[in-house]
Amino acid sequence: MERPAGIFDIRYEQDMAIVRTGPQWAFLIGFLILLAVLPLFTGSYFLGFMILTGIALIAVLGLNILIGYAGQISLGHQAFVAVGAYTTAVLMDSFHWNFWATVPLAGIAAAAVGVLFGLPSFRLKMLYLAMTTLAAQFIIIAFFNHAFPDYFRAVSGIRVNRPELLGIDFRNNEAFYYVVIGIAVVMTIIAKNLVRCRLGRAFVAIRDNDLAGEVIGIHVAKYKLYAFAVGCFYAGIAGSLWATYYRSVNPLHFHLDVSIWYLGCLIVGGMGTAVGAVFGVVFLRCIKELVTIISPILSEIVSPMDAPKIGPALGIISWALVVILFLIFEPRGLAHTWEVLKSRFRHWPFKYAI
Amino acid sequence: MSIFLPQFIIGGLFLGGMYTLIALGIVIIYKSTRVFNFAQGWMVTLGAFMLVTLVEKFGVFIGVIGGLAFGVLLGMVIERLLMRPLIGQPLIAALLLTIMLAHVIEGINILTWGTFGYDLPVKLPGQSIKLGGVVISHALLWGIGVAIAAFAAFSFFYWRTMMGRVMRATAEDHQVAQSEGLPVKSVFSLSWVLAGMLSVIAGLFLGVVSGVHYIMYTSLLGAIAVVLLGGIDSIAGAIVGGMILGVLQSLVTGYLNPALADVIPYIVLLLILIIKPCGLFGLVRIERL
Repeated sequence: MERPAGIFDIRYEQDMAIVRTGPQWAFLIGFLILLAVLPLFTGSYFLGFMILTGIALIAVLGLNILIGYAGQISLGHQAFVAVGAYTTAVLMDSFHWNFWATVPLAGIAAAAVGVLFGLPSFRLKMLYLAMTTLAAQFIIIAFFNHAFPDYFRAVSGIRVNRPELLGIDFRNNEAFYYVVIGIAVVMTIIAKNLVRCRLGRAFVAIRDNDLAGEVIGIHVAKYKLYAFAVGCFYAGIAGSLWATYYRSVNPLHFHLDVSIWYLGCLIVGGMGTAVGAVFGVVFLRCIKELVTIISPILSEIVSPMDAPKIGPALGIISWALVVILFLIFEPRGLAHTWEVLKSRFRHWPFKYAI
Repeated sequence: MSIFLPQFIIGGLFLGGMYTLIALGIVIIYKSTRVFNFAQGWMVTLGAFMLVTLVEKFGVFIGVIGGLAFGVLLGMVIERLLMRPLIGQPLIAALLLTIMLAHVIEGINILTWGTFGYDLPVKLPGQSIKLGGVVISHALLWGIGVAIAAFAAFSFFYWRTMMGRVMRATAEDHQVAQSEGLPVKSVFSLSWVLAGMLSVIAGLFLGVVSGVHYIMYTSLLGAIAVVLLGGIDSIAGAIVGGMILGVLQSLVTGYLNPALADVIPYIVLLLILIIKPCGLFGLVRIERL
């Protein structure tokens, strides 16, 4: 890793630190303060955008651990989000649990289901494993759609109430924003550090060459399941927040398209980097919002026959096309672009490329 | 109960025939390029929509010919614009690209044809037949027949013609094939063209029997299970897997529960991947260090 001239590491802790220099600390703390004071300046619409971005970020961080680090491709991530959402919804609706108690349980439930569908990874990899997760997507959603109608209420959907804590009511977006962003920041830090410890290094070894990993003493099957457990735990937490943000849970929310959208975020951002997950989610969320702003304007221009088609069509084409362009022209994603920019900035006016 | 059985089986065989046509497209592309085309079901939907428009404008005969030409063009464009830049990158990138392509095609379908259903006004020659008190539509029989014919044609093509041999050689190893002087790029192009034509043919029969709608692809995703059941690089597997799954799904719809029938392909997919990952007829490749 590069750093500015004149910065020397004299202790191991310095060499391992994520935040190294004064300016980096300043940027980080400034960014966190910005996140904290954002609700004071912006309206409810923007906060809704930020909340959804935070929820998607948590899910994509989990997918990043699963795909970017451990190399286990999942096409059914939204199904694990659904498991988390349904855990929270059913526990609150049918068993009258407290929301805060259901959040970790949602993560654990999703992790358990993830491990169950991760079992085929003992024998399968790459394409074949991707297909089993595709099967998981459809089987899990069909389960919520048809099983236990008394609890899952597929037809009407389950209503979920926003929680309250210590007298603070989280029903308005301002308060709920802090919950989501707080959890998202903590989950980002955990994800960033998880992959630097023994667990994460084992994941990377399995991704790069599973046979070599086995030879140097990594229990490949066990660590693959760990990857599924961790990745789906993130999905479960995201699902729990998803259910409380939308205040209702319905099988229609958990479509295959959303799973693919998470995958797109990861491709756009760059797999295997925490910063890539953040970039990718923010980028594709911005495109989504842009489309919701533009499509009513376009609908007025075209004939009334075509008007209702514009919204849904653009909603799909826009992000899928962006992901295709990234796959062809910048497969390493925005994270790589970011590194190049930083390097250019440091070396200016010289042109050393990395 | 028994009076409906032939109906269910014929319906299942028709569904299986459609699965076979789609699975053949996936298998042909996978065999020569090692790319798993996730978008095949979406290509069928696009082909069916195109047929609706062309048949309405130019009549049945020219419309169907034009639809097939469109399939050829579609395959060529996808291969040249999207797949060729990805040669040399990890194969998973190509899989992800076809997944995204599927969504782009879905968007194009909605943008051009909207979210309503269409009828495909093509009358197939022949009449419905009565079999022991059960009326069987001739469109279903046509679909089954065409699927079997496509299977036979591709088997012959792969094992008896020069181009088929070239395609099999390319499937073994792209670089060796290229250095032997085989036209690898044309092979890639040809396999996508064949898949595009197959998707239009499947779109024709599906459109005649059940109409065209942009959401059609959801029922066609089962073809992925067919490909894995039969073996990802096996042409015989495509038809056997297709027929097994089609009949199974039809019987479950009829006798058990339509809701269960929707997930039958995925349950089959999970089971076959756990028990026999290479599928019924797939080539077992041993991983070497």
